[in-house]
Amino acid sequence: MRVQLLSEAQGEGFVPPSSGDFELPPIFGENALTTKPIFLLFLSVILISAFFILASRKAAVVPSKLQFAGESVYGFVRNGLARDVIGHEFLRFVPYLFTLFTFILVNNVFGIVPLLQFPTMSRISFPYILALSVYLVFHYVGIRKQGAFKYFKEIMFMPGVPKAAYILITPLEILTFFVVRPLTLALRLFANMFAGHLLLLVFILGGEHLLQGVIGLKLISPFAFGIGIVLTFFEFMVQCLQAYIFTLLAALYIAGALADEH
Amino acid sequence: MTGTLNLVGFGLAAIGPGIATGLIFAAYINGVARQPEARSVLQPIAFLGFALAEALALFGLVLAFVL
Amino acid sequence: MPKSEENAMWSIFGYLLSGLLFWGGFGYGLDKWLDKNYFTLIGLLVGISGAIYLVWLRFGRE
Repeated sequence: MRVQLLSEAQGEGFVPPSSGDFELPPIFGENALTTKPIFLLFLSVILISAFFILASRKAAVVPSKLQFAGESVYGFVRNGLARDVIGHEFLRFVPYLFTLFTFILVNNVFGIVPLLQFPTMSRISFPYILALSVYLVFHYVGIRKQGAFKYFKEIMFMPGVPKAAYILITPLEILTFFVVRPLTLALRLFANMFAGHLLLLVFILGGEHLLQGVIGLKLISPFAFGIGIVLTFFEFMVQCLQAYIFTLLAALYIAGALADEH
Repeated sequence: MTGTLNLVGFGLAAIGPGIATGLIFAAYINGVARQPEARSVLQPIAFLGFALAEALALFGLVLAFVL
Repeated sequence: MPKSEENAMWSIFGYLLSGLLFWGGFGYGLDKWLDKNYFTLIGLLVGISGAIYLVWLRFGRE
């Protein structure tokens, strides 16, 4: 059922932020490949490479502050994610998981860095490609480890179920493994970044709009800005958490493909 | 301002499962914290309760698009 | 410790969603084909019960 509500002040009404605010124009001319998210993507790659090259260049037994910072991020992914989840074969997957984690983390945190202030992952195509890479990796690992026939058979037919129930269950298993898992992996990251950025826009733009109103509204606008600042810290938490969850689920899917029975 | 009322309905319908999931996992964490060895008994019950609560939320989500 | 729970919760979510999508979509297709209006509801109910049965198989019986 569709409804239409007329806003009361038609003339100088507040224009609420919408998904249109995420479609940024190209910076150089008409080329659609030169939008802000693309530049942020390259910036993130440069920043991450520079940070870890600097942190590991003069590696010493007594670490400098920079080396300590770099090693603690690496140790977090290696021990906290890869080793705990994947088990004894984890070392092969550490580079992949580490790249995934730092890349998503830096791109997310761009959402609250002043002047940049756009989370790259709030454009849906970036999470899609990341989820596609996870999808390819965990199916490849599973097929390589168990053989294609056994791998698919184990996904489709779980043991210890009456035969008739397979009609009900097997489509769900196939859909879950091949469509829903990668799709929710991408959509979770996208939706969190999109909604978080929209939330900040609502409070900051709303505060700005209140500031242009009558004197009573001007007095309220600091509260809107204050909530905006509080939500910025909240967003920082969400951004770190989403990078962690994406990497954790990637590791869990790889672990599930490696294990003999799920 | 245009939009569809179904999404408002879905938002209202999601409150109940949200509270339910919170209660289920609060009770589960409480139980495991008091008696860590009861974990293997509590875990299936918690997951089944979570599945039943989540089923209602997803049902609402799908009906918001279908109707 | 919380990692296995995280995995289980998202797996349950995925099963329920795919159950609704597959059997609900099947019922929706039947509705369009036979020009009825109750197969979608039946499909959704079948899908959700199948998904809950699957969750019980995977996580409930230990």
